[in-house]
Amino acid sequence: MSQSQTEYQYKAYEPKLSPTWWLQSRRYFMFMMRELSSVFVAAFVLLLLYQLFLLSKGPEAYAAFQDSLLNPIYIVFYAIAFVFSVYHTITWLGVIGRIQVVRIGNFTLPPVVLTASTFVGFFAISAAIGYFFLR
Amino acid sequence: MNYRKDKSEPFWWGMFSAGGVVAAMLIPMHLLVNGLAKPLGLAGSGVGSYETMRELIAHPLAKIYFFVLIVMPLYHAAHRIRFTLHEFGIRRFIVPLPYLCYGGALLATALAAYIFFFLL
Repeated sequence: MSQSQTEYQYKAYEPKLSPTWWLQSRRYFMFMMRELSSVFVAAFVLLLLYQLFLLSKGPEAYAAFQDSLLNPIYIVFYAIAFVFSVYHTITWLGVIGRIQVVRIGNFTLPPVVLTASTFVGFFAISAAIGYFFLR
Repeated sequence: MNYRKDKSEPFWWGMFSAGGVVAAMLIPMHLLVNGLAKPLGLAGSGVGSYETMRELIAHPLAKIYFFVLIVMPLYHAAHRIRFTLHEFGIRRFIVPLPYLCYGGALLATALAAYIFFFLL
């Protein structure tokens, strides 16, 4: 801030935002939900890290926590986090077609083709993870 | 911190972007496998048991896989939380927000590295 002040000789403009500005339109709200998805994903990976840490504490400690994951509170958390993470996937893969333009010679791949192919990749990877861990 | 002169910004954005890809491609299925498969009846009681997970995590590739799976989305989240707090009007805190958010991700990275490569 001090650098910009010496540079421009006036204070930087700081817009005043109400804490509820993102509730004023559906677009703003969905933007905020997309941002919030990262918090659920972060909470999940930390929970997963804790579960893997418990492997070092022996079979009893690990199994006890695995059993506690069947508690409805955890199931509700996982269900909400799943919805948020799928929303992140949809938005993230949706913009890939726009930001990563693929040109082959004079032909420019339509964004929808690129996004569709990333979704194919997503389902293939998901199936592979499911097969590996659930079989 | 002057945003225009922040030379570290491209690095953190790159980590955000890479974390976003990991979160988009891998996290939904891992959420399903880890927390929802058993309640939904998609997995037997043996899935995710101590023996199978211990055996799996003993493999170096599995360690690297879980390390990337856990660490990368944290940089993604740190970047989003940083700018979302900024958009909520929280511009200053006890510690500057970038240090707090990225610092948290770095701390968790060190913790994950310790757990995967020293404890397990």
